[in-house]
Amino acid sequence: MHENQQSPLFRLSGVSKSYTMGEVVVDALKGVTLDIFSGELAVMLGASGSGKSTLLNIIGGLDVASRGEIFFHGKELTASTELELTSYRRHAVGFVFQFYNLIASLTALENVQLVTEIADDPMLPEEALGLVGLENRMNHFPSQLSGGEQQRVAIARAVAKRPEILLCDEPTGALDFQTGKLVLEVLEKVNRELQTTVILITHNAAIAGMADRVIRMRSGEVYEDHRNAQRRPPSELEW
Amino acid sequence: MVAGKHRTLLTRKLLRELWHHRAQMVAVGAVVACGIAVFVSMSSVRYSLEATRAEYYSRYRFADVFMQLKRAPEYYRKTVARIPGVASVSTRIVADVTLDVPGLEEPATGRLISLPDYGNAPILNDLYIKSGRSLQPGSDNEVIASQPFLEANGLRPGDRLRAVINGHMKELRIVGMGLSPEYVYEVQPGAFFPDNKHFGVFWMGRRSLESALDMSGAFNDLSLTLSHNGHEDDVVSELDRLFKRYGSLGAYGRSDQLSNRFLSDEIKQVGIQISFLPSIFLAVGIFLINIVLARIVAVQRPEIAVLKAMGFSNRTIALHYLFFALTPAILGSIVGSVLGAWLGKGLMGIYGDFYNFAHPLYYFRFQEVVIAVVLSVSSAMLGAFGAVRRVVQLPPAEAMRSEAPKLYRPGIFDRAEIQKHVPVSVRIIIRNLERRPWKAALSVMMIASAVAILIAGRYTYDAVERMTEVEFTEKHREDLTLLFNDSMPVSVASTVGSYKGVLEHEYYRDEPVTLHSRHRSRRQTVRGLASGGGLQRLIDSNGRRHALPPEGLLMTTELARILSVVPGDTVEVEFLLGSQHRRSVAVAGTLDEILGLSAYMDIKSLHRLAGDGGAVNGAFLRIDTSRARALYSEFKAMPGVGGIMMLKALKKSFDDLIAESMLTSTLILTIFACVLAFAVIYNGARISLSERARELSSLRVLGLTKKEISVILLGEQAVLTLFAIPPGFLAGIGLSVLLALSLSSELYRLPLVFNSYNFLFSFIVVVSVSVVSGFAIRRRLIRLDLIEVLKTRE
Ligand SMILES: Nc1ncnc2c1ncn2[C@@H]1O[C@H](COP(=O)(O)OP(=O)(O)OP(=O)(O)O)[C@@H](O)[C@H]1O
Ligand SMILES: [Mg+2]
Repeated sequence: MHENQQSPLFRLSGVSKSYTMGEVVVDALKGVTLDIFSGELAVMLGASGSGKSTLLNIIGGLDVASRGEIFFHGKELTASTELELTSYRRHAVGFVFQFYNLIASLTALENVQLVTEIADDPMLPEEALGLVGLENRMNHFPSQLSGGEQQRVAIARAVAKRPEILLCDEPTGALDFQTGKLVLEVLEKVNRELQTTVILITHNAAIAGMADRVIRMRSGEVYEDHRNAQRRPPSELEW
Repeated sequence: MVAGKHRTLLTRKLLRELWHHRAQMVAVGAVVACGIAVFVSMSSVRYSLEATRAEYYSRYRFADVFMQLKRAPEYYRKTVARIPGVASVSTRIVADVTLDVPGLEEPATGRLISLPDYGNAPILNDLYIKSGRSLQPGSDNEVIASQPFLEANGLRPGDRLRAVINGHMKELRIVGMGLSPEYVYEVQPGAFFPDNKHFGVFWMGRRSLESALDMSGAFNDLSLTLSHNGHEDDVVSELDRLFKRYGSLGAYGRSDQLSNRFLSDEIKQVGIQISFLPSIFLAVGIFLINIVLARIVAVQRPEIAVLKAMGFSNRTIALHYLFFALTPAILGSIVGSVLGAWLGKGLMGIYGDFYNFAHPLYYFRFQEVVIAVVLSVSSAMLGAFGAVRRVVQLPPAEAMRSEAPKLYRPGIFDRAEIQKHVPVSVRIIIRNLERRPWKAALSVMMIASAVAILIAGRYTYDAVERMTEVEFTEKHREDLTLLFNDSMPVSVASTVGSYKGVLEHEYYRDEPVTLHSRHRSRRQTVRGLASGGGLQRLIDSNGRRHALPPEGLLMTTELARILSVVPGDTVEVEFLLGSQHRRSVAVAGTLDEILGLSAYMDIKSLHRLAGDGGAVNGAFLRIDTSRARALYSEFKAMPGVGGIMMLKALKKSFDDLIAESMLTSTLILTIFACVLAFAVIYNGARISLSERARELSSLRVLGLTKKEISVILLGEQAVLTLFAIPPGFLAGIGLSVLLALSLSSELYRLPLVFNSYNFLFSFIVVVSVSVVSGFAIRRRLIRLDLIEVLKTRE
């Protein structure tokens, strides 16, 4: 649990994103103002098209806002160059997506090494894989792993650099109930043991139970932002 | 109605996707266009040369059979006309003389040919008078001169020059400029290359030539045409029988007529090029279409399924994808035809400069375009076959699933210990190459073929350069050659050495003989050279010097092959002049010369063999250049000299005429090879990019810089390119050897020379092309949409 008076890890103010396609302008984000604190596990909920992914991608430096400002540790991300954003992703951000996006030609271990080779203060790749419970599958190629295992490799790859924030866009979207839970447990463990800030997008309201904080979005705006009194372990979640 | 609507929607899909893949389509089309351009230009030039020649020969009544002799009475013309199979006969007086040309310091050589008096057109071998007029009947000193000679010397009808005819200086007045089918390739006997400044053909009234040469009532040159049922061989042997005692060197048909022979060889060589390069370009085109279309189909599997589910017939869908191959092929063949017509016209212009046609015409036939389109369409179909078959065979449900993931298993590389020390990005490169060896091999093969064309394209240039180096420099140390009108006894000729300024001189003897070996025989000149001399050396195509054996014949490998003899065998030498006796001589050795067919003997043993006490036909001279001017004017007036050959002038004329046009064609080939290399390398990289966009985006998300992912993608292309270079070099050598073999004839054999500079050049070209294509790909890498890719399933 963190106190609100502590200076936030991220400070978003009036972040908007609009896509212009010919004469139609789609406002994916309409002035989102939000603080994200170090060490918290936030779950983001919202209908399809409400702008969750857009927001996450902007926070992660994959996309840039049309208007508004984002500060990370007090530094304005929105003023960063392309190269600075790359370096930001390289050192500070870990991503986990619905589709695992592993490199097919590299083994589990090598997929993790990909990141540890370029990070400043990484874990040992073996350690990262141990964290997700795959120490025995290190030399397998992605095609030799199940979906859940692949997603755990993706998480290991994301956390191996010891990121300050882990951004997960529907990480369980392609997985069944049991496997999904396993993945959530790993994420919870990473948050708990490494104090990594986690933002987790999901369509599954039940998952909100494991969070410190639940952010709900609707048509490009944050319409509800509340803190859970208590986090429930993922194993107790039911859906 | 619905079907029609669907069709227009499919067309719209096709057009949009063609536009999306435009760079790849252009690359494929360009390769096809290059192949078609070579095909169309070469086949239209061949046709144009053949048609121009046929038209020229028939319109100016080019003879079928020719014969030179010492002197025969004119009444033999009637005898010849009665030989069965002979249609019409023409007798002439032909003589080579030394010329003093205004504005030309060196002496030149003129070939004087008699024309009928009284202004009648000759029965055979007529002239095309391009400007000026024909001879006035009864005029004594009027001549018509050949166009190349006049142009090279800046002379015009109305100008005068002097000739030494039979020891007398005679002033000739040029009244016309003409061309004859006999001298389409106007070259001095004994020389292989034209030197229009120093050799020209002149036509003169028969009466005045008769009196100048003391040839009244006689002739020394005979030509005839055959009737429809006439057989060349029969007529030739009858002529040989009739004229043996008149010093005939033997009759021969068009195929041995020097000018026609050069022209025929040229046409044959053009013919070889019709299939040679285009087949390489089209083969690469087929492979390119194959990989491009395979990729498009792989990406569009789900769409194909949807189309099938919607009820589109297999035929419609197959046709849809076939159009991805047909569009660049058809556009390529049209562009190639236009380019080919343009190149062909230019090439025909070069041939028109080199060969003296009265009316060189470039014919571009629609037929050529049809063949071009058929060729490229069938190549496209062949290239598209695999991919389109996959489209047809795809069951609608199956197609909804993406293609089975490539299975990665530990490969050779993974077992190697070094891999632990290799950065992950390099491991990605190596694994990708290792896991799809066929695809890598295909890319390597295609890039290698571009390297090979670069090398082979420059090979011919180098071979010809080497040829001139050997023929004009290494082989000859003399500055000029004096050709005597008739063979002279050594005692008479030995005055040559006494001229002031002649540093070295060396006589040679050219003896016309027939060589017999079992049932084979061949008319041939045996050249007798001074043994200890060395003004003319014997150099083979590899640049090695051969010594003249003291006894026996040394002949070129090609002649030995024709006679089917090897060193140690004996041949019968039948002398055609003088006593006309036969002697056996041993074949002492063979050498592989570049030009022509030759047989050499030590001059003394040749004299002995001839049994005539010795006679010479000419002399090689090395002169003091400061005395050249004085020497030239003495030679101009020297009796008995029928011609003078200047080596340096020959070389210069060769360089001007041939080297320039070869440079152009080498340049064109180089450009085409670059197009090929670019198309192959760029398409390879584009396909890799398409296959791996997702992977590369993931790497970008993980924080790899644009530079780092470029290294992974372009590194793979670089490895393929580097791997292609050694086999490309080998294939280039192979292609050059093939080219040398197919372009060689009895007239010359291309020496095998491999200039290391060319290999370096090809290397640099291919690397630069890769770099350019790398930059083009990098632009796409930079624009890679990170989010787009991550939204979708693999
Ligand atoms: N590249 C784009 N071009 C145009 N519009 C876009 C683009 N990307 C997103 N949008 C629009 O922005 C809005 C927000 O999209 P976003 O992907 O953030 O939604 P989401 O909340 O993640 O939805 P889902 O739960 O379906 O993933 C949508 O209306 C979408 O259509
Ligand atoms: Mg989303």
